[in-house]
Amino acid sequence: MNKTDNTGDAVGGLSRADSGIESGQRAFVKYVLGMAALLLPLALLVDDAHWLNIIAFTYLMGGLAAAWNIIGGFGGQFSLGHGVFFGIGAYGAARLYVAYDLSPWLTVLPVAAFAAALAMLISWPTFRLRGPFFAIATLAFNEVAFVIAHNLTSVTGGPRGIMIPFKAGLENMIFRERWQYALLMFGFAALVIGITVILRRSRLGYYLLAVREDEDAARASGIDVLGVKLRGMALSAGLTAIGGTLFAMYLRFIDPPTIFNLQEVGVKFALLSLIGGIGTIAGPLLGAALIIPFENFLRAELANAIPGLSLAILGLLMVLAALFMKRGVVGAIEDLVARLRRKARGGK
Amino acid sequence: MDQILNVLVFGLLLGGIYGLVSIGLNLIFGVVRIVNFAQGELVMFGMFGSYYAFAYLGINPYLSVFIVAPLVGLIGVAMQRLVIQPLHNESNMQIFATFGLLMMFQNIMLGVSKGEAFSIGGQVGSSVITVGDLRISVVRLVVFGATTLVTIGLHLFLGHTMTGKSIRAVTQDKRAARAMGINVERTFLLTFGVGAALAGMAGALLTPIYSITPGVGGNFILAAFAVVVLGGLGSVWGAYIGGLIVGVVEAFAGYYIDPAVKNATWFLIFLVVLIVRPSGLMGQVGAEEVGFREQN
Repeated sequence: MNKTDNTGDAVGGLSRADSGIESGQRAFVKYVLGMAALLLPLALLVDDAHWLNIIAFTYLMGGLAAAWNIIGGFGGQFSLGHGVFFGIGAYGAARLYVAYDLSPWLTVLPVAAFAAALAMLISWPTFRLRGPFFAIATLAFNEVAFVIAHNLTSVTGGPRGIMIPFKAGLENMIFRERWQYALLMFGFAALVIGITVILRRSRLGYYLLAVREDEDAARASGIDVLGVKLRGMALSAGLTAIGGTLFAMYLRFIDPPTIFNLQEVGVKFALLSLIGGIGTIAGPLLGAALIIPFENFLRAELANAIPGLSLAILGLLMVLAALFMKRGVVGAIEDLVARLRRKARGGK
Repeated sequence: MDQILNVLVFGLLLGGIYGLVSIGLNLIFGVVRIVNFAQGELVMFGMFGSYYAFAYLGINPYLSVFIVAPLVGLIGVAMQRLVIQPLHNESNMQIFATFGLLMMFQNIMLGVSKGEAFSIGGQVGSSVITVGDLRISVVRLVVFGATTLVTIGLHLFLGHTMTGKSIRAVTQDKRAARAMGINVERTFLLTFGVGAALAGMAGALLTPIYSITPGVGGNFILAAFAVVVLGGLGSVWGAYIGGLIVGVVEAFAGYYIDPAVKNATWFLIFLVVLIVRPSGLMGQVGAEEVGFREQN
């Protein structure tokens, strides 16, 4: 009974208000308008280094949350181990660049493909697990990745991490100006959202929704459940790895505690999606747009006074969202719109 | 040979520790099927409570356990009432909510302790018994004894008292339990409270062994999940034996391979069990699905 409350309505995603499948043209126009709106803060604050940093990070985390949302939101598989794929992207590109002088532009896609392949390999046994067992298993993957990164010194630099020397140039994906990074991150977010928009209208997208709503019914209707989950996971992991590469090239320093930090990375993707609206197209971006600047503000204001307070507040937000806003900001807006429409119709 | 024996004893005593932290989780996750990621933080609260009692009031951790455990139990009751109860049947949201609690608890404690790590091991925990070549730490032996006693107690409680039987009945079928006149909500509240109190107890007893930091719960949570799944969800003796196995495996892996691989060993155990025998060593086959199916 309760189960349908939080998922059933979310199926419609952005198109719910129109009750029906929206035309491709309309979806495209919406996408372009949305991306233009997303670019607005960058255009307005292009001279402010402090804000540019926050904006770049918001784009990056928004894109990463949207990548998580593909398997976590549409597929309903709550992975807490996406830090693994993020780490592969970060370490892969950084090591190949530092050791072999290979441009991240060349390595980003092969590294992402590797992450996708590994994701399929480790997900194949874990997808037998349902619900909480899957989440715990993926959490454990993250811990194992930490141990490997900590000990495989020849590849990861171990606890000392990898430092990427500053050599500005487009070919190195290292930039002198913050706005160039922000634009790069925007491109990433736009890519992930674009793929999500297409996916949401594709056969795989509908299969993922079917698997999320009722795995047994999906199987009974002839869907290859495991295959659908694996493809969703591969796509999600590959995009996450791309985000990891961008992260490494932006920070130019990575070490295990930064990359495999559950609260800041692995679970953060899920948290941002939850706040914005799990299983919606705009939700993860919206979540990032709300949380990342807020978090920066908290950290700047509170970090010196009381250590940890900003993360404690984030934790509280997570609890409150799970309790009162299961469909996130997008869900809340949709509810409001629906209520207003009903009222308007009742008034006539 | 002596080396192997020493490692074995060390592993068994470590297993006692894992058994102790898993007992509470076994009630909460194994019996009433609530995914509580904040369980390790309840252990952490127990440790800080007993540390402060020792540092400011001079109370020995083995006495303060009788104050600390009920207090942590009360935190658990509040958690259940305010967060878990509204989310029953929604395991995905429980994951989020309890992870949020984990972040809250950990970072609030970070604020309170100002990031300082405490230790009372020097004052309480340094005595060692020597038997031949074997060296046995007394504080760890106490934990082992406590684990055994609590396991026996819990076994008797769940199997032979009306309250214990009603807890098992609620797990198996909420509706039928309600029809038999069991107050389902109160049973859940009680179970969660007891599970939290056991975590608090574990924390107090571990104070002399571990250095006390806000992040210490992270040392236990994955191990505890591995133990509960290995032993079989809800099986009291399964958690006990599962704890010992995890402890011994970790000790041998740590001694003969590398101390850093311990997280990996928990994980391997966890994964192999879930794939080969999801019901665990001593769980009933199919029991792992009970309670995650939709119920009203």
